[in-house]
Amino acid sequence: MTDVNPDYLELDKEMNERALDSSPIELLERIKIEGRVWEELSEEYGVNNPDPPWRVSLESTCDQLAGGYWAPFNVCLPKEERESPSDDKVDAIERRWEEDDLVAKHYADVPFPERQLLALAHTLVRRGIMTEQELAAKMKSVSDRLNMVDGAYEDEELSNPGLANKQGA
Amino acid sequence: MSDHDDHLHPPAPMVDEVSEFEVLELAVRELAIEKGLFTQEDHDRWTEYMHTLGPLPAARLVAKAWLDPEYKELAVKDGVKASLEVGVDWVSGMPTQFGTPSDYCNLRVLEDTPTLKHVVVCTLCSCYPRPILGQSPEWYRTPNYRRRIVRWPRQVLAEFGLQLPEDVEVRVEDSNQKSRFIVLPVRPEGTEGWSEDQLAEIVTRDVLIGVAVPKPGVTANAKRPVRKAVNPYGH
Repeated sequence: MTDVNPDYLELDKEMNERALDSSPIELLERIKIEGRVWEELSEEYGVNNPDPPWRVSLESTCDQLAGGYWAPFNVCLPKEERESPSDDKVDAIERRWEEDDLVAKHYADVPFPERQLLALAHTLVRRGIMTEQELAAKMKSVSDRLNMVDGAYEDEELSNPGLANKQGA
Repeated sequence: MSDHDDHLHPPAPMVDEVSEFEVLELAVRELAIEKGLFTQEDHDRWTEYMHTLGPLPAARLVAKAWLDPEYKELAVKDGVKASLEVGVDWVSGMPTQFGTPSDYCNLRVLEDTPTLKHVVVCTLCSCYPRPILGQSPEWYRTPNYRRRIVRWPRQVLAEFGLQLPEDVEVRVEDSNQKSRFIVLPVRPEGTEGWSEDQLAEIVTRDVLIGVAVPKPGVTANAKRPVRKAVNPYGH
């Protein structure tokens, strides 16, 4: 095999042409600095599981995001027969390219899978799928629920009746 | 020992605080669902399936192949068909039912010989035969491994503790959208008369990726250092 996969060169070219904004995001920078990673928490609490309980859920989210453009029966089609790239669907290969890029630029010192999560959130914000403000507000409501802050469930249940029972990874 | 002794055991330790990362994971997921990118039901169903995955089916495939020459021939010729005997259906199982791009594909079983060693990578992203091998390890995803294993396979394998004689050819297989790979290593000496269960125990995840070889007594993966890419291509 060659030293550099020609598909990677092509992907590199495509992604560089798309030029998604890879500048830092304040909210994620704060989490990067203040967030306690699983490595640290598991050691402190004496937990043996090498992965945080949300790791598989994160993988699942990544897979679900890719479900359209890389629909299972499309994946083996020649490239020209697939749908065009779209910011409404997060193609798995593009996401991994962006993860590599964002990790190298911002999250290299964050352990895995925390850095995969930060890179995914970064990608979704920069693609305009969600805004930083929306993400911050959702984090606040999720945090209130998980930490059982008084009244945390009231608004959430009204707007998302299905989600109140789905907390936790 | 009384019937109630179990109740006296201290509970397993657990992390008793909510981390920012746990909150972020849930927030990203809920926002994606609210925006209609996928449904909670599909996410739940897929997550449950993912929790069932691990390297055991692939380990069992190798152990069976070591014990049964006909099955070995089938495995090398048609990995998808051979997977059925270890409970993995690549064609109409979970991935193709509704699932994921990076799993639906053709499994190929790479047979090592005393003079040929296979090792698997995905240079493009981190494609991995999840239905039969579970989640990929962290080092497999890193640009450092992906870029260096194709250039200096012998040296990178040596970093994993696998030093191969010069007369052993190293072949690196690059996973892609169509194919996934596992390695069928040479059965090690000292395993004569072993059962399928005993053999499967020494076929670890790293053995199946090809960065280790099976050894009697070794049933776990060694902890691997994760290195940053130095001057990685394109960055």
